[in-house]
Amino acid sequence: MKALLALLLAAPLMAPAEPFTPKSDAEVVQRLPYRMDATERARRAALARDPAQLPLALANARAALDRARVLGDPRELGIAQAALAPWWQRAEAPAEAVLLRARVLQARHDFDGGLTQLRGLLARADLAPELRAQALLDSAAIHQLRAELPQSRALCEQLKLLAPLPAAACLAELGSLTGNAPAAAQALARLSPGRSVPPWLALMRAELAERMGDPAAFGLYRQALAGADEVYTRAALADWLLAQGRAADALALTQGSEADALLLRHVIALRRLNRDAAAPTARLRDSLAAADRREPGKHAREQARFALDVENQPREALRLAQANWAWQREPADAVLLLRTAQAAGRDGEAARRELARFVRELGWQDARLNGLSNS
Amino acid sequence: MIRALLLLLCCTCAWAHQSSEAYLRYRVAGADVEQRLDIALRDLDRDLGLDANGDGTLSWGEVRGRWADVERLADEGVRFTAGGAACGLQGRGEPQLDEHSDGMHAVLVTRWHCAVAVHELAIDYRLFAATDAGHRCLARLVGMTGEPLLLQPGAGPQTLKAEHASLGEFVIEGMAHIAGGLDHVLFLVTLIPVAVWKRDGKGWAPRAGARGAFAETLKLVTAFTVAHSITLGLAAGGVIDPPSRWIESLIALTVLLAALDNIRPFVPGPRWAMVGVFGLVHGVGFAGPLKDLGLRGAELLRPLLGFNLGVELGQLAVVALLLPAALALRRRTAYRRWIVPGGSSAIAALAALWLAERSLALQLLP
Repeated sequence: MKALLALLLAAPLMAPAEPFTPKSDAEVVQRLPYRMDATERARRAALARDPAQLPLALANARAALDRARVLGDPRELGIAQAALAPWWQRAEAPAEAVLLRARVLQARHDFDGGLTQLRGLLARADLAPELRAQALLDSAAIHQLRAELPQSRALCEQLKLLAPLPAAACLAELGSLTGNAPAAAQALARLSPGRSVPPWLALMRAELAERMGDPAAFGLYRQALAGADEVYTRAALADWLLAQGRAADALALTQGSEADALLLRHVIALRRLNRDAAAPTARLRDSLAAADRREPGKHAREQARFALDVENQPREALRLAQANWAWQREPADAVLLLRTAQAAGRDGEAARRELARFVRELGWQDARLNGLSNS
Repeated sequence: MIRALLLLLCCTCAWAHQSSEAYLRYRVAGADVEQRLDIALRDLDRDLGLDANGDGTLSWGEVRGRWADVERLADEGVRFTAGGAACGLQGRGEPQLDEHSDGMHAVLVTRWHCAVAVHELAIDYRLFAATDAGHRCLARLVGMTGEPLLLQPGAGPQTLKAEHASLGEFVIEGMAHIAGGLDHVLFLVTLIPVAVWKRDGKGWAPRAGARGAFAETLKLVTAFTVAHSITLGLAAGGVIDPPSRWIESLIALTVLLAALDNIRPFVPGPRWAMVGVFGLVHGVGFAGPLKDLGLRGAELLRPLLGFNLGVELGQLAVVALLLPAALALRRRTAYRRWIVPGGSSAIAALAALWLAERSLALQLLP
């Protein structure tokens, strides 16, 4: 009893966080995710004076969407939408504006909304060829994201004449998902015969190599990352490293990052290495809760991963992975569903069987899904 | 993925970083209103260009030097009326900062005096309406339970009720807390069956009459109540704030020790003393729901009273259910040989599992 009392009193008695005044002017109080350059400032100022300048607004929205990709920061989507405000509600808005509008919706996980915008755009007879190509590609990507592969293929077929290289890459990738991975890998390799592979193609090849269980994935991910340091690519490489048992490398790769996708991998790596992860875990938990509050159910992928690999709650992870699978069906989502189903033991049996059937019917090949057949 | 081609659609995976959020907190006393607005420094930098030396970080000097602009932006972004009339600005707080999950926020406190007592606020929120369409503000009244009001910039005035939750709501909150907290209930369940006995050397002997059992129960419940009221008040007021993992683990330990003491008494001193010490731990555990309200000083009194009352009512319900049965059975051999030791062992096992789970952050139980 005395020991109990001593324990109670010995527990650190911290006061809750309160507003404070920093002690010195030199104290750094916030790191900024990027530096705004003079052109950007000028563009914003001009747009603030008169928001209805289409070229400026498009440039602003594009810059914001680019930053969203590089930084993984959803604020940028709000900034893009604000730049497009004069055209946001108008059905007959200029095609460029509709294209960007669709991207903002899609990035907010409103896939149906994005597809509707793109469909309207593709129905315009006077759509410029390069914009048509972009709209086809964007729609194909959304369909692929939901594993609607025939729809995706039909769109990429239409793309052949307008943009041969992306069309070829798209069709090769779809081929790899429907039972012909080695031929697809060769086709993708042939698309960039030289030494310098464009980052997007390196990423595509890295992901295919990972699905085939080919260790070449590492070099390709590295190449993609060197070409374009984006959150998606960094997170994909971190996942590959974690799957290979190289937690220390994954830790180094995700060190000091602001984006939560990377913070998640960082926390997982810390835990695998038995290092203290309390503070970043708490930050991540807050952030995931805030994201879920803002867009309920739309962040199930990260939440499931968090529940499985950080919180050790396999059943909750399975529930979230299933919710995620209901609207997002990329190979990574299937892998997550399989892992959670396996972790949940008997409770995951039905989910595992259903996934196995789905993957078999599609002809999906993925070394990471080999566990599906071990029943 | 085809998304790689687009160089854009990767966003679905990369998300989870927070969208921009500001926080509004109103404190209302009669016709006086205190408004606290927390705005992310990153958002302020975007609109005001705070990073004077362009080094990609904000120093306190850079923020403080532009505080007047920050205040102007905030004043234009948030306007409220009470009862249809604007209120008069009485004063402003010092420039301050506070950390939120997505980074440092500027804290802007303003004090207002309105013409009449304030019953509701109509908030016209426009902050960042032109620059970030995804920005939102969470507004709440200090002392209000439940979800905050979500403000969308430029969506027109929205109403925040300035009526505090009633005493009854806090009573219900307290009862719900007892009903939902199996560990608190189990602690009581562990104490009552033995209250009809008294210590007899290394074991227990039945009390002669019901009066002795009632007196013992009264002592136990009083000790528990007094003790947990003290720490509940201290924790709710923010005087003590030990990490919840410690407290949760200690609560499990109290259940474990009480259950073991049932099987073979070993805790020295009268039982009410043990219960009092353990009650101190449970009180900190009770404080969670109250801590989030952000109340201070006298504002805490009513919630604390109501909440505590609810906790007591919940406890009395448990006692009322168990004590008559324990009284009736206290001389039965089966009660002494099987029911109390068996039940206590089961509770001890469960508490040991909780203790392991909570102290080591494992998940052993479903």
